[in-house]
Amino acid sequence: MRKTFDLIAAPAGTEPGDYVPRVYAARNLPATSSATLEVQHGDAGWRVSLGWHCPDPVRDASGNTNLFVDAAALLAPTVADAQWITMGAPDKAVEGALWRADREELLRIRAEGLGTVKRQQPPNHWKAHSDWSEARWSVTFELASWPALDDHNQLAFAIWRGAAADRGGLKAIVPQWIAVEP
Amino acid sequence: MSGSEKTNEPDTVDRQLAMVIDLNKCLGCQTCTVACKKLWNRDAGTDYAYWNNVETQPGKGYPALWPETGGRSGAGEVKRGEVPDLDSGYGRAWDFNHRAAFESAAKPAGEKAWLQPNEEAHWGANWDEDRGAGHYPEDNHYFYLPRLCNHCTHPACLNACPRHAIYKDKRNGIVLVDQDSCHGYRFCVEACPYKKVYFDPMRQVTTKCLFCLPRIEEGVPMACARQCPGRLRFVGYRDDPEGPIWKLVEKWKVALPLHPEYGLAPNVFYLPPLSPPKLDAAGRPTAEPRIPMYHLESLFGETVGAALETLRSERRKRRRGEPSELMDILIAYDWHKSFALSSEHEVSR
Ligand code: SF4
Ligand code: SF4
Repeated sequence: MRKTFDLIAAPAGTEPGDYVPRVYAARNLPATSSATLEVQHGDAGWRVSLGWHCPDPVRDASGNTNLFVDAAALLAPTVADAQWITMGAPDKAVEGALWRADREELLRIRAEGLGTVKRQQPPNHWKAHSDWSEARWSVTFELASWPALDDHNQLAFAIWRGAAADRGGLKAIVPQWIAVEP
Repeated sequence: MSGSEKTNEPDTVDRQLAMVIDLNKCLGCQTCTVACKKLWNRDAGTDYAYWNNVETQPGKGYPALWPETGGRSGAGEVKRGEVPDLDSGYGRAWDFNHRAAFESAAKPAGEKAWLQPNEEAHWGANWDEDRGAGHYPEDNHYFYLPRLCNHCTHPACLNACPRHAIYKDKRNGIVLVDQDSCHGYRFCVEACPYKKVYFDPMRQVTTKCLFCLPRIEEGVPMACARQCPGRLRFVGYRDDPEGPIWKLVEKWKVALPLHPEYGLAPNVFYLPPLSPPKLDAAGRPTAEPRIPMYHLESLFGETVGAALETLRSERRKRRRGEPSELMDILIAYDWHKSFALSSEHEVSR
């Protein structure tokens, strides 16, 4: 499948703590308004590509204290009724891969609710390629095996635009799980 | 830390460790800054970071103009703040021409390479040292303000973190960052109005003063307090009526929190600075102090006048040869008595 999705700002109001929900309440427009998703499934496993407009890429945030890197994540439910918008819930995890513009390797991520994301080393066979040209990021995730997606055939993604100080729950997301072909 | 017991509910700590800093004795020598820096922040990502800094007041401070964002509203809500940057906020750690200066040491003056930064410097942690304000000789003035994390009773940094990576150690109220949970979002940096959480851009996590917890666990005071040649830092628990903190804060009411209006209930307190009188146009002393009261009130709140009056009156008593518990504490004849950490530990190191 190949399709362009309109994105929404992840609702800051449900973030944990009493700071982000209140001070970022007005941030209700996504810093990235749409993205194109392409999903292929074959002998080599899952190949998922994301492309989005980004006029001001941030590839490296090590040079200053107020820089945030561009990033994107793919997530899938680990049980049938895990919610996407809440990043799962206790015992209803979501899991997937995080790409950051400042790293070559992906990170494996897993969450059981907002604010609970854990980052881990990914399986060896998870790879990513990224390219920025003509004000556009193209990121391809090659995941030879991803049981959560195999089992549930549902996928969602998030995009963080560093130049807009996106981080954590301040991100552009697809509003709901996307059904993918097995 | 070895035995830290986490709590995200600041009101549930068993005890609260605190510090009092006597601004009347600070030399601005930066021994505290260096003691802290050498112990905790020598990596590339923390080269700009001073958990303890000593700034000149009046002045821009570090990071520049730090008191302008964050804190709590009157209703206790943490307000939106900003993340300072390295160029206009903190100042970068400059690279110096050490080798060239060393190699030219034996050369005649005109051929020496003098020690200087390799790039043009615009701002840094102690850039406006000793500048102060006013006009010589009428009312020129400045004083030193050592600053560190206040290990607040109501820490804005803790409330701002959506990952609950910031917590208080239940045993002593020290505010700590669990760097394994920190994802470098910097909401804590924004929210702390004292700007005492630092971001390490190399490791992409935040760092902050830990009140030298490993030393405290051994009954040894923080490096900044122990190394201070002015013997002007006092350390102990808020609830110890025999210790210097309780006496200076609760009994004598001369030690005040910095910016109480931020609503964070800091646990670092300051004895405000007395100052000599302003001069009139004919050069005669007036009744007004050189450091304007409005400036001190803007830093320490409206009780600063009463604290200064207590200090003056106890000084006068001492000059008359009368006993003064307050002056005895502040003079710190025996530095061991400045630190009341734990009855099991004799502070001897
Ligand atoms: S001074 Fe800032 S960093 Fe320290 S506890 Fe208070 S809010 Fe947190
Ligand atoms: S070591 Fe003591 S006297 Fe020196 S700057 Fe620090 S607080 Fe002031």
